[in-house]
Amino acid sequence: MDNLYKTYFKALPCYLTIQDRDFKIIDANENFVKNFGDFRGRYCYQIYKKRPEKCEDCPVERTFLDGKRHRSEELVKTLDGREVSVIVYATPIHDEDGKITSVMEMSTNITEIKMLQKQLKNSQEKYRLLFEEVPCFISIQDRNLRIVEANRLHREAFGTFYGCKCYEVYKHRDKACHPCAVLKTFDSGKVHLHEEVVVARDGRQMNVMVMTAPIYNDDGEIESVIEMSTDITQIRELQTKLSSVGMIISTISHDLKGLLNGMDGGIYLVNTGMQKEDRDRIDKGWEMVLRNVDRIRSTVLDILYYAKDREPEWSELRLSEIIEEIYSVMKPKAESLKIDFSKEIILDNDTFKADSNAIRSMLINLIDNSFDACRVDKQKENHEVMINITGDSEEIRFEISDNGIGMDQETREKAFTLFFSSKGSGGTGLGLFIANKIAQSHGSNIEIESEPGVGTKISIVMPRDHVDSAASNESEDSQSTNKP
Amino acid sequence: MSDKKKILIVEDEADQRDWLTTFFEDNGYDTITAEDGQKGFELARTESVSLITLDISMDNESGIKAIRNLQETPATVNIPIIIITGVSSDFKRFLERSKKVNPPQGYFDKPVDRDELLKKVKELIG
Repeated sequence: MDNLYKTYFKALPCYLTIQDRDFKIIDANENFVKNFGDFRGRYCYQIYKKRPEKCEDCPVERTFLDGKRHRSEELVKTLDGREVSVIVYATPIHDEDGKITSVMEMSTNITEIKMLQKQLKNSQEKYRLLFEEVPCFISIQDRNLRIVEANRLHREAFGTFYGCKCYEVYKHRDKACHPCAVLKTFDSGKVHLHEEVVVARDGRQMNVMVMTAPIYNDDGEIESVIEMSTDITQIRELQTKLSSVGMIISTISHDLKGLLNGMDGGIYLVNTGMQKEDRDRIDKGWEMVLRNVDRIRSTVLDILYYAKDREPEWSELRLSEIIEEIYSVMKPKAESLKIDFSKEIILDNDTFKADSNAIRSMLINLIDNSFDACRVDKQKENHEVMINITGDSEEIRFEISDNGIGMDQETREKAFTLFFSSKGSGGTGLGLFIANKIAQSHGSNIEIESEPGVGTKISIVMPRDHVDSAASNESEDSQSTNKP
Repeated sequence: MSDKKKILIVEDEADQRDWLTTFFEDNGYDTITAEDGQKGFELARTESVSLITLDISMDNESGIKAIRNLQETPATVNIPIIIITGVSSDFKRFLERSKKVNPPQGYFDKPVDRDELLKKVKELIG
């Protein structure tokens, strides 16, 4: 009978030892001997831990003290130096009188379990890190659209906390959106994709691409939905800018085609007029050529002006001379459009420091704009444009007034933005933008007073002396800030 | 009644109207002109024209509206239309695919090739 149990003892697959009160090992099984060597006359702590004295927290000691079973997790070292994780169980062995004579210590190798636990922990940490740091907004939502988990970017952007409603943090709404991609995913179990505009907690609006996917529990039911949102605001802004560029290119292209056609037509009239010896036709054709060449030149100069940031070339100007020159250039155009164009200059001293070409360009653009406003206005019999110059010793005031079609508030607000043009077939849309840029480079801004159906007055007050480059740069920065 | 065919020129730019008028008259056609789509449509209904040349972007009423009006009206539905425009060639494709208008009989991008234009006119109305 004893021999059978002895056989069992020896064959068990864990490390088995019998220890006396001094923690000397008095018996051990084969697995122990194989891994830890000869035990006779040696202490438990010497063999397992290479220690000179007993461990501070010893389950065998506790069993000797209270007669109960005890367990612990230990890291022990085998004969060949391997570190092994073990779970230790200490059990008392009694004699016939019930006294504890020794303790059986059973140590089970859990090294592989420990390794797997560590791997799992590392894996979980990696997923946690991925969830937290991925550069898009991630939230996990339950069926009531409460956010039960959110990554760092989401928490930072929207102020998300456990249990808050997604529509509150995204959209500042008090009820769910309809339709809702998350609820759709709860219903269908499918991934849903759509574009949204959301509002961050700092008030910033963002275009986001939203994707929702189901998360299943062990029973195969959809427990929650993960929502991933990617910020595509910059893509949308780039699209808008590219659209604007495309728009201006097509507008300029369209206008130049018309002008080239007009010039070509004029050449036709000149050529056929000469063939037929028709003087009137030649004259008319040549007028057409000159007119369209001039318009092509203006368009190209506008484009060049826009393309290049130009530092003003300051010089002292005679304002009356400039106005007379502009008047003589624009008067024939006004007459051809049946517009009454007049000027009034009330100045004691008409000297003025400015960039001559820039001032000329600014005024021509503004007058052209007034002519267009009259041309498209079909409600009145008579149209007039007036340019009025006044000033004192410090500054010059320019006013260009027309009784054309007028501007509503939206038109006034957008009039100086890049590429704005409400005219379908006239102008590049650069004219007012350039005029405003010139005014700013001269330390001024353009003011518009206008009423739809009544007319428009544009005012510019400029210092007589030129602004220094610091102020000029300040204007440029201000303009850049306003640029759409 | 003159035996010359009459061409209606619908174009908001005066220079374009002038040279098209001169060009067509030099080649044996009568002409009548309109400054916008609405006026063009009215003249097409009342003036017994053989052909219409039509710009697209005009102030009062665009060429698109004019085409639809012309093609929806029995008196004008059979008058051939030649588009002469500075709008990009994508627009031609748009017109050809549109369900609301039939494609025009001719399409020319500005600046116009005069020989090609004349050839098309002769092809359509002799």
